[in-house]
Amino acid sequence: MSAILQVRELKQQFYTRQGIYKALNGIELTLNKGEVFGIAGESGSGKSTLGLTIMGLLPRNASVLAGSVLFDGIDVVAPIREYASKSDHKFSFRKNERIIKKLNKDLAGVRGKKISMVFQDPMTSLNPVLEVGYQIAETMVFHQPNVLAMRRLARAKARRADLEEAIRVIKSTQGNEIAIERFFEEKGLKGLEEQVLSIWRRPDLSDARKEKMILSLHSERLGAFESKVLRMVQEKGSTQGWFFKLPFISRFARSALLKEGYRKAVELLSALEIPNAEKIVRMHPHELSGGMRQRVVIAIALANNPEVVIMDEPTSALDVTVQAQILDLVKHLKTKFNTSFIFISHDLSVLAEVCDRIGIMYGGRLVEVAKTKELFESPAHPYTKMLIAAIPTLEEKEIQVIGGSVPDMRFPPSGCMFHPRCPYAMDICRQMAPDMIDVSEGHGAACFLYGQKRASE
Amino acid sequence: MIIAARRLSKHFQIKGTGIIGGGATLKAVDDVNIDISERSVVGVVGESGSGKSTLGRLLLALLKPTSGQVLFNIPDDILAEYDSAIESQDFKRARQIEQQYSIYVKRGNELKKMRREMGIVFQDPYSSLDPRMKVMDIVIEPMVSTGYKKGDEAKSMCMRLLDEVGLPREFAFRYPHELSGGQRQRVALARAISTLPKFLVLDEPTSALDVSVQAQILYLLKEIKNTFNISMLLITHNIAVVAYLADHVNVMYAGKLMESGPKREVILSPTHPYTIALISAVPRKLTKEERIVLKGDPPNLVSPPAGCRFHPRCPYAFNLCGWTSDEVATDLEYLLQGKYYAVFGGEIEVITKDSLSLLVKGIDSKKLSNVIEAEKDSTKSLNSISNIQDSEEGVLLNLTKFQSPGLYNVEKGKKVSCLLYSPSILVSSKENNQSTKQRVGL
Repeated sequence: MSAILQVRELKQQFYTRQGIYKALNGIELTLNKGEVFGIAGESGSGKSTLGLTIMGLLPRNASVLAGSVLFDGIDVVAPIREYASKSDHKFSFRKNERIIKKLNKDLAGVRGKKISMVFQDPMTSLNPVLEVGYQIAETMVFHQPNVLAMRRLARAKARRADLEEAIRVIKSTQGNEIAIERFFEEKGLKGLEEQVLSIWRRPDLSDARKEKMILSLHSERLGAFESKVLRMVQEKGSTQGWFFKLPFISRFARSALLKEGYRKAVELLSALEIPNAEKIVRMHPHELSGGMRQRVVIAIALANNPEVVIMDEPTSALDVTVQAQILDLVKHLKTKFNTSFIFISHDLSVLAEVCDRIGIMYGGRLVEVAKTKELFESPAHPYTKMLIAAIPTLEEKEIQVIGGSVPDMRFPPSGCMFHPRCPYAMDICRQMAPDMIDVSEGHGAACFLYGQKRASE
Repeated sequence: MIIAARRLSKHFQIKGTGIIGGGATLKAVDDVNIDISERSVVGVVGESGSGKSTLGRLLLALLKPTSGQVLFNIPDDILAEYDSAIESQDFKRARQIEQQYSIYVKRGNELKKMRREMGIVFQDPYSSLDPRMKVMDIVIEPMVSTGYKKGDEAKSMCMRLLDEVGLPREFAFRYPHELSGGQRQRVALARAISTLPKFLVLDEPTSALDVSVQAQILYLLKEIKNTFNISMLLITHNIAVVAYLADHVNVMYAGKLMESGPKREVILSPTHPYTIALISAVPRKLTKEERIVLKGDPPNLVSPPAGCRFHPRCPYAFNLCGWTSDEVATDLEYLLQGKYYAVFGGEIEVITKDSLSLLVKGIDSKKLSNVIEAEKDSTKSLNSISNIQDSEEGVLLNLTKFQSPGLYNVEKGKKVSCLLYSPSILVSSKENNQSTKQRVGL
């Protein structure tokens, strides 16, 4: 397993009128390829801040003191960190804002394409005045116009005979992805395979109907001008340059790409188990129920096949039965799309359902990281133990109360953040912060109960 | 009984829909019976929009019901007399009892006195406390306004209450914005019990709080219940909270009571298909059990499904559950246009004639009945087709007339609103029922 995202010693704080909030205090996190990593913690523990910092989505009063977020060969937080290391004495909001704006510009090509995010409330993260299909198509038109152009051109180029042959290949290989991909590539029809396969994978249609739909793919003709524009988009790989700045051309190219984007949106939504996706893409967010809306947001996040998706409390605004549907969906996505997930939630039992590994956050630090099963069967850190005991369950069990409350991060406690609430607190806990120590393989806990790594520091 | 609600309904008028005859009605609570005995905690669980908060407000007379009665603090023998009077249609006696015990007939001083006996804790402690009042004023307000206590007496009572809910006495002189979420919820609780009420409604008391704070508040609620002998109605969507605190559980869906019974029976061995699905949907640590994932969303309450309101999502639905021709037509069209496209081609039309019959054009009856027979198990609505006949225009399908479930008594003190447990169906088709029961897995 290779690491796809690495967070090293991340320290982040917010400057406010009331003082300096030390939100993150040395986060160590490695996300492996194809894994779901869960982050749990109480509110105020910094789990959402961590998600936003990984995305580089920071307000102007945020400063990164130390550490790095390594993703795709770039250090996302490097410019902010450099500024923070220079401005030791006086922090200027305006200068920091300028740096963050530049960072936003630099990351525009990465966000939504290689790394994307799903937020808690789907009603506020969707635009109420646009059709949901448009919102899904938009991300693809922005990031991958060449892929959309390729799809449209391949469809125009395909002849009926090609598609008939494709159906034969699908039938003989039982829908084998690699064989079909190779078939279309040989024919010079790259971009058609996902369209054919998405029709083939729909569970609600008979084979005859699917065949008819696949055969109907070739019937759409393409105007000479439109095909020329699309070919230019495909060759250039973007809609930039003087040619696309001409007012008529830019509008024409955009509408042609959006039209194709709607088609892709239908495919995505039916992959997310939404019935009647053709009708849904023409609806506005208010016409959909909460669960449907959250699926649309997930579709937007997955539209460009990102490598990492950060889900920030995606089910907290939903009902239990709808939450069960979404959790089921995330479990399937893990296998269907080749994507790694960071799943943030305050509900440990939700994480237990979907995650491979779970990290427990407290006071801006990860205090324990373990495989899901191990975390519940043999939790090591006192906080984890108490957190698990505090959740009411269906079985009749007396719940344990954790006294006190989350520390005020303007004046965090000395040493281990948890010591004021910890029943096992020792002298050393008040003096210094514990490092992450391996309790067993792949199971780390930051607690002095399990010894010490370094005497100094 | 502290509270006995009988046939309680609340329909909200929605303005601006409908062209002729004004607005539509939203049936938030429909025909609900609830009993809350002394010193017991009754839980109400359900998804959002199931009417559980409306029910809580009705029981406190914060809303006027469309129909039905809530009798407060009524001795058990008089309640039994009331029930039998209603059953034997002795409305004179029933009216007499209502005059004395109903919370909706009380006015003026009597109403104030009754309010003293009731309290409520709202979901969001950030919006339920007045930001311009100090904690002490917040806690004292209900005592003064109901004429329970005033002046120094009220102040010393406030201090005692703060001790009771685990807040330091200095907090009496602070404003709500200085407190954390858990502390605010403690203040809200102190306010609710300030007049030493007999009955307390807890409307999602912990859903805005963190896990560790939730545990503190739940523990506190249990203590308060024991020290003050209060009966509580616990409204929540979190079944685990009900499992911790309640003695008795009611499950609501789309404004109707689905299942009601002792906590252990309802949660550990649920009977109603909705309860089974709801409890299996609760995320759990490390279970290997296959969960039942319901399809679709809760219904729109302006035009709720006919018959049992859960039937469109129910995995065990059968022919009597309330299928109408619209539902059957949608499912049939979907099947014929999709899965059976190869057999029939696209030239099929499904037309609804009235609520219990529909017409299918461009197909012969034998093939159609084969399709219906084959798809009965996966598409529940097709079970309701009772006969298939050729007519001049096409194939005519007639549906079985549906029944609406009442609340049926099943074993161990549970009541279930599901036709699978209807006594008339149990008698009329024993073999059929056995096979359905096997499918349910009982």
